[in-house]
Amino acid sequence: MDSNRREIEVMANLLSSNDRQAEVNRAHFRKHNCLAINVIGSPGAGKTSLLEKTLPLLLMEIHIGVIEGDIFTSKDADRIAVHEVPVIQINTGGGCHLDSKMVSKVLPEFNWQATDLMIIENVGNLVCPADFDLGEAFKVIVLSIVEGDDKPAKYPVIFRNAKAVVLNKMDLETFTDVNMENMKQDILAINPDIQIFEVSCRNGKGLQAWVSWLTEEVKSYRESKV
Amino acid sequence: MHEMSLMGGVFEVIEKTISQYKVSRVLQVRLKVGELTNAEPDALQMVFEAFCKDTICEGAELIVERVPVRGRCRNCQLEFTVPTMFFLCPKCQNTSIEVIQGEELLLESLEVE
Repeated sequence: MDSNRREIEVMANLLSSNDRQAEVNRAHFRKHNCLAINVIGSPGAGKTSLLEKTLPLLLMEIHIGVIEGDIFTSKDADRIAVHEVPVIQINTGGGCHLDSKMVSKVLPEFNWQATDLMIIENVGNLVCPADFDLGEAFKVIVLSIVEGDDKPAKYPVIFRNAKAVVLNKMDLETFTDVNMENMKQDILAINPDIQIFEVSCRNGKGLQAWVSWLTEEVKSYRESKV
Repeated sequence: MHEMSLMGGVFEVIEKTISQYKVSRVLQVRLKVGELTNAEPDALQMVFEAFCKDTICEGAELIVERVPVRGRCRNCQLEFTVPTMFFLCPKCQNTSIEVIQGEELLLESLEVE
């Protein structure tokens, strides 16, 4: 029996089917000259609040579409729809992250002649979404400072792979023991190129810097069309 | 628990591979999982057993090899292990480090009969 026992060398990527579809999505966004961003953060960090505050400031200059990932509800999409932005809800039905196939299925729902920026809000989770490329140009983390200054070091994968982090709920800084210097130091140790924005979605402080940066990113993406 | 999705990827690869060989049973599956991924070995073990049930892999052993993160300094080209996820060149203190190992999510090999 043992003579039949043998080893087959494989060396195949476990994410290859997700990554293939992600490249198709990326080509779609490029073709339509639309910057796609993947917004990732824990439940309650303020991802949807950030969008709610960002949309009115961006809408004067930029045509936006939003994809909302959620396990069951359409609560977030309902909040976005108020701003008269095209929004599509994806329910993962228990799944802890969006994948590139889920995103690809909803792409036909948008008017691609009039979308300069596609914001994909992932399922609230700082772990699982990090491993799944959706075809976005880059990832943005939303972290609320009340989650603790140890979080970047505890979730390094996502911080290593993101282009920007929005530190939300700055209005609560005085009520917590969070050490902002430690938090920012850890973030930069993991990823020295990351952009850090300190904001309060509640009182609006710091939002303008984030919005200006994102506007520039949309412009430079659209001008870089090959 | 995105290990469920990853395991879906494992079984896609297994099915594709064994369709090219004469295999009556899969005895062992070897994965390489980089430390700069969020795949958790214990969770992988748990979902592996669930996926194996009533398949050609039933009873197979899963071996998960963790691959440490290694970086290359973009300034002095030194290659080094990054133990704590803090990306700093030990030689020239540069912080611009290219990751050269540790992002793997691979099915390395199968043992079959």
